[in-house]
Amino acid sequence: MHRGTSRRKAFTVCAVLMSAGASTCAAVSVAAAQDILTSRAANREQMIIEGARKEGRVVLYSAAIVNQAQRPLAQAFMKKYPFVKMSFWRGDTEEIIAKVSAEMRANNLVADLIEGTGVGELAIGAKLAQPYFTPMIEALPERYRDSRGHWTSTRISYFSIAYNTRLVPPDQVPKTYDDLLDPRWRGKLAWRIGTSSGTPLFLTTIRLARGEAKATEYFRKLATQKVINFGAGSARTLVDRVIAGEFPIALNIFAHHPLISRAKGAPVNSQLMDPVASTAGTMIIPRGVRNPHAALLLAEFILSKEGQQILADADYFPVRPDVPPKDVLASVIPTRAGVPELFISSDQLNEYTESSAKVFDDMFR
Amino acid sequence: MTVRSESRGTTGALLAALPKIPAISPLVAVLIAILLVLIVPPAIFLLRISLHETLPDGSLGPFTLRFYESLFTGRFFLPSLYNTMIYSFGSALIAIVIGTVQALIVERTNTPGRNLAIFGAIISLGVPHILYTVAWLLLLGRSGPLNDLIALITQQPQAINVYSMWGMILIEGIGFVPLTFLLMSAVFRSMDASFEEAAIVAGASPLRAFWEVTIGMGVPAICALAMLIFIRTFESFEVPALVGLAGNINVLTTTIYQSARRTGATNYGESGAYAICLVLIVTVLLIWQNNLARNAHRYQTITGKGFRPRIVDLGGWRYVSAALLLVLFLFVTVIPAAILVFTSFLPFYEGVSLESFGRMSLDNYSVLFGPGSFRDSILNTLILGASTATIVVPFTALCAWLVVRQVKGAVLLDHLTMLPLVFPAIILGVAFLNIFVNMPFPLYGTLLSVIIASSVRYLSYGMRYAYAGALQIQPDLEGQASVSGASGASVFRRVVLPLMAPTLINSWLLVFLLSVQAVSVPLLLVGPGSEVMAVTLFELWQNGQVTELASMGVLWMLLMTAVSAVFHMLTRQHQINA
Repeated sequence: MHRGTSRRKAFTVCAVLMSAGASTCAAVSVAAAQDILTSRAANREQMIIEGARKEGRVVLYSAAIVNQAQRPLAQAFMKKYPFVKMSFWRGDTEEIIAKVSAEMRANNLVADLIEGTGVGELAIGAKLAQPYFTPMIEALPERYRDSRGHWTSTRISYFSIAYNTRLVPPDQVPKTYDDLLDPRWRGKLAWRIGTSSGTPLFLTTIRLARGEAKATEYFRKLATQKVINFGAGSARTLVDRVIAGEFPIALNIFAHHPLISRAKGAPVNSQLMDPVASTAGTMIIPRGVRNPHAALLLAEFILSKEGQQILADADYFPVRPDVPPKDVLASVIPTRAGVPELFISSDQLNEYTESSAKVFDDMFR
Repeated sequence: MTVRSESRGTTGALLAALPKIPAISPLVAVLIAILLVLIVPPAIFLLRISLHETLPDGSLGPFTLRFYESLFTGRFFLPSLYNTMIYSFGSALIAIVIGTVQALIVERTNTPGRNLAIFGAIISLGVPHILYTVAWLLLLGRSGPLNDLIALITQQPQAINVYSMWGMILIEGIGFVPLTFLLMSAVFRSMDASFEEAAIVAGASPLRAFWEVTIGMGVPAICALAMLIFIRTFESFEVPALVGLAGNINVLTTTIYQSARRTGATNYGESGAYAICLVLIVTVLLIWQNNLARNAHRYQTITGKGFRPRIVDLGGWRYVSAALLLVLFLFVTVIPAAILVFTSFLPFYEGVSLESFGRMSLDNYSVLFGPGSFRDSILNTLILGASTATIVVPFTALCAWLVVRQVKGAVLLDHLTMLPLVFPAIILGVAFLNIFVNMPFPLYGTLLSVIIASSVRYLSYGMRYAYAGALQIQPDLEGQASVSGASGASVFRRVVLPLMAPTLINSWLLVFLLSVQAVSVPLLLVGPGSEVMAVTLFELWQNGQVTELASMGVLWMLLMTAVSAVFHMLTRQHQINA
């Protein structure tokens, strides 16, 4: 295998891959260009535009859905900045990290900006991230910013249970986590395994909310409920199975998914529980990125009102307080519903995921 | 080039496998070199990843044996291995029995409905595996029409629990019926009737002649196919994940999946260790199969004489066999396709009811035909499938022929081409990602890189097909051509290839259909601009509603059926001309 690629080879790759507009790929200019990422100069904005114009292209790797989010983002971005050609690739967070890590080790970095739930902490773990500054974060609540400047947040997710309204009568809908322990739900609860936003997140929520001792006691009781391990497909797919009547109740799904189907008449609903877990999708600019100006320009576009509105239109919850989510989704925002929220930060996710996965292995697998 | 080899025993074949370079024929050496270049890098990657910790940045950390240790000592391994065995064996059995019976009826009897069976098999092969599984779950699930029907009759709700071992075996096994049917058809079609006639003349009853001669001579092909299905099932993921996990039945792949994906960062060590063990198991199976092929001359049925398979007149019974074909057509093709079509018009799926008919609309299709979606990727997909098949089929035909003729060193070709089958697809994807991204020329992210990776991935399928085809050709024909002055190359091109044509045509179509629907390998290899449909489909599966997935599945099915139909018409024309 060609592990020890020489610098010369890497530059050849760079040179060939880059479009006609940016034919030079000298290490010096790459290093100098990265300075823009942390610049707070007065003419910063102008420098970004000028630099992006020279770079002429930007590549986004994101976990956001292509048709609803990435394509409209690219169209709007290129309309606003016609001199930058934006292309994108979609993968799960884990795949994005694997791909970018491989590119970085090979000195063949294609991605300029990466985005997804959990991207921030995984990227820091994989040493992919470099600090960047954008005044856009001023518009965001404190908890959606990283004190080290490695990532910014892009969208929020709220988690709840989904239940089939035909199979779960209104007076029996579990309203609290303890209601899930009712023997009538034995073998009727399903949760999603094989991803950090599935079972580990649910277990982490309970651990953070109740403390280790009480959480363990709760898990012991929950284990007797024989929760079904749903292992193929996303949280969205699990909600579809609930609609189909395969599972009456699904735990820890994205709270807005049932609402979207419910609006079409599907027999499904969300039920928030105290506390409602929430996480934020994050965005980083990889180290040694090839088009730093264009990357920053795109990051700022995604954080702008315009970019956040595109995410809102794609059924995501924007991080900017001045961009409201769709009306139909508002009922699962904890502050509006009057249910306490537990925001689980990237750092907490990082800290708890491994031990929560072990809890799952020991008690539920 | 030596066309005919001396008959040699197992020891001889094994000796030939040893790296005595001067003893290997130059052609075999070249082919081995090509395969080594393609297969060794991912194999080394696999071995290294199984012996090292994977660091968070995806690079390899310190040496460790813990993945092997946890594989054998973990409380999940043995029960999953046991389940895997039952599941793989059961599925292979169902596929082989049903597919072979179907092929016999179609090829060897005067039962009407032959084209229906071929047509049905081809449509089914065009349905991506994940969709096929979803279709069966919609059908047999707790709220599916079958359970509703039983509840209506017996008043017992949800009587069928598809999330069980039998559910897994049934869905996986039936999924392989079209493949078995097409392969066995090719085998029976090229079988000389004079053998059976000779048996009858010698006093055997027609039934006994049929059983001992026809089935008996099909044994190597059946074994080769059974092994292919067994291995494929061994490493299958869709059915174990969708059906098995929900019923708390773990097989090896789902156990590995749970270990690898338990937290965010993927750790491939355990999957690597598992794959290495699988490589060893398959090597043992291959050696066993080579022993079988040692007596290959017993199974050669394509001789220099003109022949036609003997068609048995079933008389009145042919209506029974026709009904059987119809039932198979319904279960293997129509019902799964119908439920997908039905679902594709719905805003959401909640079982089959009169109510749901009222909700039908074309909304899901309008999403598909929206901007971009998969119009971008259709051309890429067709190029991918056609290129992969066109690379794999002639290459494996040559390899298989050399293996069957026991040309020195050729047994290595057999082993090498089978290796990619046991690489878990996701690992193969990661391995090729790491290889291509380090290439000194811009291969990474291109469609060409996906074609190379998928050619490697489907070599084994091409090889099994070609092997079964090559096994039946008597060396006399080639000998006669050689004696008449034909060179080795022209013997292969003008004698062997045409005789293998029926098998190779099916092989091409199979590799095409498999490579266009693969997800795991292209997932990480495609870049902006080289997307393929299967990945888009997978994205829908991951993020979209099942109804949108169904609509894309229907479109996919139509496209693949059209491709297959055109292909069949072209080849039929060719066969008639030939």
